[in-house]
Amino acid sequence: MRIVCPFCGERELGEFTYLGDAKPQRPAADAGEDAVYDYVYLRDNIAGVMSEHWYHGGGCRSWLKITRNTLTHEISAVEPAAGAGAAKVGA
Amino acid sequence: MVEFSWVVRSPLEHALVAGPYGASGEAGVSLTEIRNFDLIQVMARRGKATEVATAAKARLGVAAPETPKAVQTSDAALIWSGPDQFLVLSKGGKHAINQLSQAFASSASLSDQSHARALISISGAKARAVLAKLSSIDLHPDAFPVGAAAATSMDHTSVTLWRGDDGLNGQAVFNVLVFATFAESLWHTMLDSAAEYGVAISHSEEF
Repeated sequence: MRIVCPFCGERELGEFTYLGDAKPQRPAADAGEDAVYDYVYLRDNIAGVMSEHWYHGGGCRSWLKITRNTLTHEISAVEPAAGAGAAKVGA
Repeated sequence: MVEFSWVVRSPLEHALVAGPYGASGEAGVSLTEIRNFDLIQVMARRGKATEVATAAKARLGVAAPETPKAVQTSDAALIWSGPDQFLVLSKGGKHAINQLSQAFASSASLSDQSHARALISISGAKARAVLAKLSSIDLHPDAFPVGAAAATSMDHTSVTLWRGDDGLNGQAVFNVLVFATFAESLWHTMLDSAAEYGVAISHSEEF
């Protein structure tokens, strides 16, 4: 599997580290214990297209948000995660 | 207060033995460690990339690389090391941390890497063959011309790799910056990779 880093270009999988599901959003401070438990511990085990965080630690050290099909490993989108590459990400 | 006397030594001082290595005959590869350089990491603060580009142009005479490239000036090389960041490599203190910090004071964070990295220059007819064993980057001249750069890994070690100006004999010259504490390990791996072609080992104060 190869990933096309938006900063470096196409690189081998060994340069990247997998973090996991990019969907969970940190709940508000007053959201309650259940919401925090959900956010910290509960994950869907998706068989199909999912949004994931990957880290290009063996390259430009940027966090990436990748849309990958877990059944075929087909990658349909790669974008810098919020905070990676100050100029490229508006956020 | 304890007085320290710092002695600047190369991280490859023990591992590097100048002379021929590996297969006999004409060396297919030259491995040269470059010593005593100034290396400054410049990282744009959030939203300040444009200001950094302007400051780089004013201070160093060239725009900072925005894509994986190395830009050579008369007395420094600016090497892309990640989004909105680059390294300034030079000699003689003209672009050392104190000299650069003023120029980027309002736009970037600087960090002195002069003694944190080792710089290895690889050239010769078999240079690309040696690196092909260590790197997954396509180093063919069509894909990696003079001035191309990459933040990548060799033998699981993070390196900054770029192709400098060709040597006097017209052959490609590849430069590798590696963290000082990983330098000895990568050096031995490079020697293993290069041994079959015959190696000319040296160190130099010149780029």
